[in-house]
Amino acid sequence: MSRSYLRTGAIAAAVLALGATAACSGSSSGGSTGGATTKSAAYNAALDGIVNASDKKGGTLNYVASGDFDSLDPARTYYAYSWNYQRIYQRTLLMFKATPGNDGAQVTGDLAKGLGTFSSDGLTVTYELRDGITFQDGTPITSADIKYALERSFAEDVINGGPGATYLKPVLVGGESYKGPYKDKAGLASIDASDPKKIVFHLSKKFSDFNYLMALPISTPVPQAADQGKNGGANYQFHVVSSGPYKVETYQPGKLLTLVRNTAWKQSSDPNRKALPDKIVLTEGLDPADMDQRMLAGSADLEVEGTGVQPTAVATILRDPSTKKNSDNPSTGFTRYISIQEKVPPLDNVNCRQAVQYAADKVALQGARGGPIAGGDIAGQMLPPTLPAYKKFTQYDSGSDNTGDLQKAKDALKACGKPNGFSTKIATTNKGKGPKVAIALQAALKRVGINAQVVQVDASTYYSGFIGVPSNVHKQGLGLAVAGWGPDFPTEYGFFESIVDGRAIKQAGGNSNYSEFNNPKVNDLIDQALATTDVSKRNDLWGQVDHLVMEGADYLPFVADKALDYRNPRLTNVYISKAFGMYDYVNIGVGS
Amino acid sequence: MTAPLDVEPSALDADPDAAISAESAKAVEGRSLRQIAWMRLKRDKVALGGGVVIVLLILTAVFAPVLVSLLGTPPDVPHGNLIDQTFQIPKGSFGGISTKHILGVDPTFGRDLFARIVYGARISLLTAFLATFVTVLIGTVLGITAGYFGGWVDGLISRVMDILLAFPLLLFAIGIGAVIVVTDRPILGLTGTSLSVAALIFIIGFFQWPYIGRIVRGQTLTLREKEFVDAARSLGASNRHIIFKQLLPNLMAPILVYSTLIIPTNILFEAALSFLGVGVRPPTPSWGQMLSDAVSTYQIDPTYMVVPGVALFLTVMSFNLLGDGLRDALDPRAGR
Amino acid sequence: MGRFIIRRLLGVVVLLFIVSIMTFAVFFMAPKVAHANVARNFCGRVCDDEAVKQVSIKLGLDKPLYEQYGAYLKGIFVGRDYRLGSDVTHCGAPCLGYSFKTDQSVAFLVKDRLPVTASMAIGAAVIWLVSGVSVGIISALKRGSIFDRTAMGVALAGVSLPVYFTALVALSIFSYKLKILVNVHYVGFTDNPLEWAKNLLLPWICLAFLYSATYARLTRANMLETMGEDYIRTARAKGLPEKTVIRKHGFRAALTPIVTIFGLDLGGLLGGAVLTETVFNFRGLGYEAYAAIATQDLPVILGITLFAAFFIIMANLLVDVAYAYVDPRVRYS
Repeated sequence: MSRSYLRTGAIAAAVLALGATAACSGSSSGGSTGGATTKSAAYNAALDGIVNASDKKGGTLNYVASGDFDSLDPARTYYAYSWNYQRIYQRTLLMFKATPGNDGAQVTGDLAKGLGTFSSDGLTVTYELRDGITFQDGTPITSADIKYALERSFAEDVINGGPGATYLKPVLVGGESYKGPYKDKAGLASIDASDPKKIVFHLSKKFSDFNYLMALPISTPVPQAADQGKNGGANYQFHVVSSGPYKVETYQPGKLLTLVRNTAWKQSSDPNRKALPDKIVLTEGLDPADMDQRMLAGSADLEVEGTGVQPTAVATILRDPSTKKNSDNPSTGFTRYISIQEKVPPLDNVNCRQAVQYAADKVALQGARGGPIAGGDIAGQMLPPTLPAYKKFTQYDSGSDNTGDLQKAKDALKACGKPNGFSTKIATTNKGKGPKVAIALQAALKRVGINAQVVQVDASTYYSGFIGVPSNVHKQGLGLAVAGWGPDFPTEYGFFESIVDGRAIKQAGGNSNYSEFNNPKVNDLIDQALATTDVSKRNDLWGQVDHLVMEGADYLPFVADKALDYRNPRLTNVYISKAFGMYDYVNIGVGS
Repeated sequence: MTAPLDVEPSALDADPDAAISAESAKAVEGRSLRQIAWMRLKRDKVALGGGVVIVLLILTAVFAPVLVSLLGTPPDVPHGNLIDQTFQIPKGSFGGISTKHILGVDPTFGRDLFARIVYGARISLLTAFLATFVTVLIGTVLGITAGYFGGWVDGLISRVMDILLAFPLLLFAIGIGAVIVVTDRPILGLTGTSLSVAALIFIIGFFQWPYIGRIVRGQTLTLREKEFVDAARSLGASNRHIIFKQLLPNLMAPILVYSTLIIPTNILFEAALSFLGVGVRPPTPSWGQMLSDAVSTYQIDPTYMVVPGVALFLTVMSFNLLGDGLRDALDPRAGR
Repeated sequence: MGRFIIRRLLGVVVLLFIVSIMTFAVFFMAPKVAHANVARNFCGRVCDDEAVKQVSIKLGLDKPLYEQYGAYLKGIFVGRDYRLGSDVTHCGAPCLGYSFKTDQSVAFLVKDRLPVTASMAIGAAVIWLVSGVSVGIISALKRGSIFDRTAMGVALAGVSLPVYFTALVALSIFSYKLKILVNVHYVGFTDNPLEWAKNLLLPWICLAFLYSATYARLTRANMLETMGEDYIRTARAKGLPEKTVIRKHGFRAALTPIVTIFGLDLGGLLGGAVLTETVFNFRGLGYEAYAAIATQDLPVILGITLFAAFFIIMANLLVDVAYAYVDPRVRYS
């Protein structure tokens, strides 16, 4: 079972506009039922409506998971489901709207009254905090607490694993040299918390996606006093202080997380959350097949990792209509693709890359991911269908049955001077669906004489240390790599920036542009799109990026990722969050 | 009692019963231990059955390509049309058994299961035999050295054995295997599957030699004190002669027995490492790896779990039967 | 006797030292062989060079190998200081360090996971010892009977089956088809003894099946050999009832080797029954070690390996002491 490694994206320097649109999204008016459709249980009902809408309070939720959060410390967590789960009991400056449909991809004010106000030069952003916001012990939350939380993510030698420093360093004045509050007592001057009800950021460059940054867990307030001594620093994750409707009662890493009501939380200060259940119990470390069995039997409510059920449960659910109506098949927002490294010969020749594109058997690749329902729809382009600029097209036709166009592949091989094929390597993780994808690709390429050897590496090393280090890729000749990508925030910029922008290539490591694709025209289009406020013009520009990226032949997308999720019929207010591609945990309650 | 020069000295001298039967046998025709053992073995039908299965398995492994071209399709050729795309399991019952695929196909890819089992036999048998060879070689050499020369040599080797025996074997095997699986530089000129297999042979063979080393050492210690060794020495025989001509033949029986008992253990060991993902890497077929794959689908495609499991079971059982039979045949006092 | 024990205990300490050095060498050097920077595994997905360097410092991986080993040893004997935030945290002796991945204390992890492995191992051990030995004895006494043949046949099958296959078949039948033992997962004994036992039934049976097969065969062989000895013949000739002959003379000789092996098997199993734990998803020492190896979480690997080696060595020691008690010649070798 693969864990959803988070849609990641290092936000590079950018110019405007995306944030402006988000800023237009308006209010933080109460309740997630504002304007959203309510539905009764049916297959895929939760994709665009709220199933079992209810305001009934009380009860205990029984969630299950097979793994553990990467960390409970908001500055150190990176998994998608962890970010989603934190919204239950932690408040951030802004948050993704708790509503189904496309609105769920918009941000709204959580601790802040609304989105940030940008100065005319775009280098200062101000947020006003709401009244009545408190920590779990009743202490009021001030801007200083948010400032401290952001500062501690700079202490990478203690607070490791999260994206905070990577995002904030290039964006905040003085960020590059700040080493965190443990070493640098003076603090980061560019975060101004002099007014306890206002927080002001001084940016080193225009960055209109800043609102999205503030919707991430890194802006969860942390009381400085709680971050000291043996319960602070790297150990804060075992003693987190809550700002939302619930607080941590028990945390046994890998086993149990129990949340109970935070009596200091005031509903009047939080129009986004309903806080219906009295208690939320998450049992971790369970066998995936066991979890499915429990959910189907009704003894577990929801599997929170959002990666979908196992093959056995897929069969059970799809074959039985009474079970099928309790399931949904959302798009997770990921695109699964093969990265074709253009610096590894003979794939430095675009025709050889095209040969790979044509020879790939997309049906087999889709099958390796789990088939049309558990895996996703066959994709012919990089942009996922969940984003506004998506317009369907297929660059490299894989034949009428999508198993590959061998003739075109052979022609391409001739054109690149390798009529009998060539040898290369396919890199993949060693567990989950990755190896299956690699094997499917290997078998498909063999048909035209391309001999690819499969190389497997543990997931913990694979991205940042194996295919994410360009020199390693060259040295080991990793011509092909199994990859997947989902945006950190549901925007085209969030999706494309780290993986296709040539300026985002990190030679030293942690690189996400595995193929080292660098097309100046694409880079320019990205800049233009960021500067455009007109939505249709912007979509058009991103569409051009999508086309150019595919023409370069460095990217072989094969599946627009989906998962088959199951919801216990006793749950209320269940819907899919567009921001996370899985059920939104914020307002789920217990029915009768 | 002294043995005639054209018959090898045997361990029968320890047992009066056997000595008597040897005497009476001599009266008819001189029979070596080997001949007697073979006679006994022939009578043990079950052990013979095991032996036959083993021979068949070896032939299957050796002639894998021929068998597969006759009875199946190549092991890494997928057949997407035989797979139900929604559920990613073989269409048809019993994992898609048909005349073209006599054991069905595997889930997701639809590769011929018979072919994969047959090629998997290669990996299992090759790794197990070679690893056993390594174990027996090192164990015998070091065991004899320790037992015969004694003194500090014995002390050193015994300490090394103690250390190696103290290691949690599986954990170490996993650790080393995990590194090998990741490494992509050639080690000793090997890469890919051959590197994996070589590494497996090394890991399995290297950590287990103390088991046989101890036994050989013990036997050597006992034999060293026997009269025929004294006699040979007094005749001026060199150490080399004594070791190779006197001790080694007497050690053959226990060595042989333990070899046949270690082979099935090694087969299971390789399967276990492959099951844990640190054995041979896909797409090379391995029975253990197939079982690992089967974990997520065994409730909807039980055939894919049963077939490699039964293959492992039959293989290991045959070796155990043969090993038991050999032990009974070679041990003069057993089986009456 | 006392001097023997002391000598052996010293040997244990030396052994543990050597095991620790070799473990350190293998698991710390292995990533170097693969040209991998272990710190990268723990610094998050998007991790630039500076972040890796910082994480490297946090985990102590920037120091040379011998320094890391020295610090580790120091931690075990004297305790160690860690910088985990604003203050310095002191980890008292014996300090096994902190997990690279979760920052949890390794000592805590071992203490927490040991009951899982111990429950599984000891429970299975009791079952296999009792069942294996009794079946073996009965088979030996009723040699050639239907019982003997069937029992030995089943035993042969048990020895030839991989434990994870048995486990999968057992789960398939009892957990999914018949639904008698569903949702098998570990429940602590102190939480709910009944559930604890119920959930451990399948792992116990699978493990026990494997080992009791071996023990049944071994016991039978030993019993047969012993019952053929001269002194048994003498005892019978003296006119002792058969039951007494078996009980007083047969058992002791036949069972002594069993005890030896039992100690070694149990010790080895306590080191982590990786396969059984993985299939049943019981997060014991074996499971955690396996997971730690995958992510190269070195303190955890080191901690669990040392524990496992400790159990094996102690089992060896106890067996040797028992032997020395019984056979005085051993004390002086």
